[in-house]
Amino acid sequence: MEFQKELSKICEKYPQLKLNFHYKIWETDFLRFYQSQINYNISKTSISLSTTIYKGKKSYSFSLKDSTKEILQSKIDDVLDLIDQLPEDPDFVDLEDDLSKSAEKEKTNNIEKVSLEKKIDILEKFSKAVESYDFKIYGTFICNYRTLYIINSNGLDKREISSPIYLECKAVNQKNEVTVLEAYGGERFESFNEEEFISNLTKKAKAATAEVVDVDAGEYEVVLAPRCIGEYFMYLESSINLSSLDSKQSYFEGKLNSQVFPENITITDDPQHPELINFDYNGDGHVYKKLPIIEKGVFKNFFVDNYYGRKLKMETNGANGGALVMDTGDKTLDEMIGSVKRGLYISSLHYMNFINPKETSITGLTRDGTFLIEDGRITKVVNNLRFTENISDIIEGITEIENKSYTIPYSSNYGEFGIYSVRMPHVKVNGFKISSSTRTV
Amino acid sequence: MKKLVYDIINKLNAQNITYADVRFTDTDSQQIYFEKGKLKYFGSNMDSLALGIRVLADGCWGFAGTTILTQTSIDKTIKKAISNARVGSKFRKKSASFRKLKPVQDSYFFKPIEDPFLMDDKYKIDFHEKVAQKLVGNDKIVYSFVYSEFYRQYKIFANTEGTLVDSLVYDSMPKMYVLASNGRESMSRNWPGDMNGQRGGFEVIRNVKLEENTDRIIEEAIKLLDAPRIEEERADLIIGNGHLALQLHESVGHATEADRIFGKEISYAGKTFIKPAMLGNFKYGSDIVNIYSDSTNQGGMGFHIVDDEGTPGAKVDIIKNGILVDQQTSQENAAILGVKPSSNMMASFADDIPLIRMTNFCLAPGKGSLDDLIKSTENGYYIDFTKTWSIDDNRNNFQFTTEIGWKIENGELKHIVKEPTYFGITPEFWAACDGICGEEEWNFQGTFHCGKGEPGQSMHLSHGVAPARFKNIVCNVKA
Repeated sequence: MEFQKELSKICEKYPQLKLNFHYKIWETDFLRFYQSQINYNISKTSISLSTTIYKGKKSYSFSLKDSTKEILQSKIDDVLDLIDQLPEDPDFVDLEDDLSKSAEKEKTNNIEKVSLEKKIDILEKFSKAVESYDFKIYGTFICNYRTLYIINSNGLDKREISSPIYLECKAVNQKNEVTVLEAYGGERFESFNEEEFISNLTKKAKAATAEVVDVDAGEYEVVLAPRCIGEYFMYLESSINLSSLDSKQSYFEGKLNSQVFPENITITDDPQHPELINFDYNGDGHVYKKLPIIEKGVFKNFFVDNYYGRKLKMETNGANGGALVMDTGDKTLDEMIGSVKRGLYISSLHYMNFINPKETSITGLTRDGTFLIEDGRITKVVNNLRFTENISDIIEGITEIENKSYTIPYSSNYGEFGIYSVRMPHVKVNGFKISSSTRTV
Repeated sequence: MKKLVYDIINKLNAQNITYADVRFTDTDSQQIYFEKGKLKYFGSNMDSLALGIRVLADGCWGFAGTTILTQTSIDKTIKKAISNARVGSKFRKKSASFRKLKPVQDSYFFKPIEDPFLMDDKYKIDFHEKVAQKLVGNDKIVYSFVYSEFYRQYKIFANTEGTLVDSLVYDSMPKMYVLASNGRESMSRNWPGDMNGQRGGFEVIRNVKLEENTDRIIEEAIKLLDAPRIEEERADLIIGNGHLALQLHESVGHATEADRIFGKEISYAGKTFIKPAMLGNFKYGSDIVNIYSDSTNQGGMGFHIVDDEGTPGAKVDIIKNGILVDQQTSQENAAILGVKPSSNMMASFADDIPLIRMTNFCLAPGKGSLDDLIKSTENGYYIDFTKTWSIDDNRNNFQFTTEIGWKIENGELKHIVKEPTYFGITPEFWAACDGICGEEEWNFQGTFHCGKGEPGQSMHLSHGVAPARFKNIVCNVKA
């Protein structure tokens, strides 16, 4: 019998307990390249089982790799001797009991579909395309395939398959190390437009051959690339998680259904968006559906899971911010850049960290292509810059939004290697605070 | 398991490859987490077995790892590692090389004073609950936690050069935290700081005296709500060990990892401002700054007999009298730079590929006590307990915020200041170092969470530091 089927039977065997299982089979094929050649190729396979056992309001959790029914049962029996001695968590109510399922679609295994040979073929084309500007390519080309079973004593038996592709290609000038970035992310490799990717990468490399200058600290009008505004919203997610409300660290405390940002800001969490990496369930196993977060500047919803939802008396919605989508505006990118007298185009951000999460004060840096805009044109490359700013002020400062949006992939490198994506347009921001220069590109 | 590793090495030796190494790890960990006085998480990851095979063939590296240790899976993993190298070599312009290593056969088994995996679980829970209970009850403390993590890893390393080393280590990491609020703003205090991991068992938890310091952090967090901020544009800063370890980690440790020089980490962790031509002549800090990598010191979490490609543990000067003299290297990168390998290739688990990682990365002690250093400071701040950190892609521009600072006037600690935030350019900052305390103040700080690589790895490592003073630092940065 397949192991995941054994898990439901084990739940039945212990009626005095509430058991919650996450059984995961995960593979990755991971290519890293540098100086227009392979650095290394990695293939990994992992099978893991995360178990939480509740007896009333007492709980114990454990993880096992490549377990068997016998090992699991022996471990549960060990826990039975201990669990009565543990203190209760009075805030625990119950495990997920909504048995409704999402479509649970089968997905192509992109590890098989995008072979190492195919990846190399694509990378060779990238390498040739930027060679004439004296750039070499650096980056990663990853395919994952994961099957997750979420099973519990309330009869939950759900499955989620994902197979994201993540391609991040940086072109680095061999003379001065100016770096530009182009990325692709998704689960349908048919949507990867090789020609467009090469054209964008080449255009950026060409722009990056301009003179490199430094700028002073101060306030600038900036055009933020979709990756940047996406990242700011992803950092704000810590305030949208209900746990931050419980720990009194949420910027949105007391602001539900209040106007928090300008009316041109609408953000939705849309895990089934056709252009994004999709998710069926949150960690509880609750169906993860489309949810408005900011609607015309009004804060509409926290991400509510079972534990904190019950603790703070809010209804579970299963959302977790894994697929943010920002509504587009009415300007073209050319119009946005064209209307800047002297400002900056920022391609990407690096090493952000909150100074005070409740105030959304943050510091971080620009990366992978920061450009000077003069009289409506990108004219020079600027050294990477540090900003120290409240995210809320940056969003307040958005004056224009592009009329198209882009899929931007992100990798999550702590814990399991996860790949997520957002759908964001370019935005223009007034009064963006640069606090210092790095003096390097 | 040694037989399993031998068998794999034998199979690899039968292939037409340049070099291969095989690692097996069996890792246990346990976590205890109380939030707002209640047990929120108690759990473990036991007997996490993993196998990793790294192959150099046709001038390219290939790697495969698995947690499934059936013979079929192992054979598939061997095959995959070899094919990853051979196929990869088609997009390789310059062959990767690996120098012959002298084989090492040895064992190392660390014995903790109190083995957390043999202790009574109820005792550990009661110990932490007592601390957790002391963190709640004050109206101004709106959030608190106490957390400890215990770790044990058995590892077998073998390579096709004839090396076979097995080791067992124990690491532990405690932390407690309070957040005070007055309704308008909130201020945090933690103990014993963010660099709180140490080699050892439950004795590590006892040594940091959590219970004895609960009143202190509650009082300081509440006082910080009404404390002033630093108003001067620039000031002299004395940085305490916990935070100085992070300063060293970010602005020297990562900057001197040789894989960054060659762009191997650009896609995630970043580059470095250091270029090969700087070795031997670049002024990285003042004359009193001496920094070294030391995987031979058994007191730190970075100790090993051999690293994860078989290079014996080594103590290597990185900055000598303020001059950059070496890098943290692998066999391959050391050969390109023309230096001796520094024994810094490490992986978190066997199914992770080894990368250049800090081991025990240390600032050498100077002279005198912390009291002496404070007494010799006319006007400045003593700061510690990291709150925020950020450094650029090239490890040149950093900005840090600590939870708390103490104003120093005429050699005496005065009032506290909230969220001291300072900024610097790496070589200018280290050039401004004019005092480092002596052996009596020097100790190991450490972390379980140094992130690097893709797929990401969290490394356990240590920093030996003593408090140090930095002159005329920009310290008035506000959002």
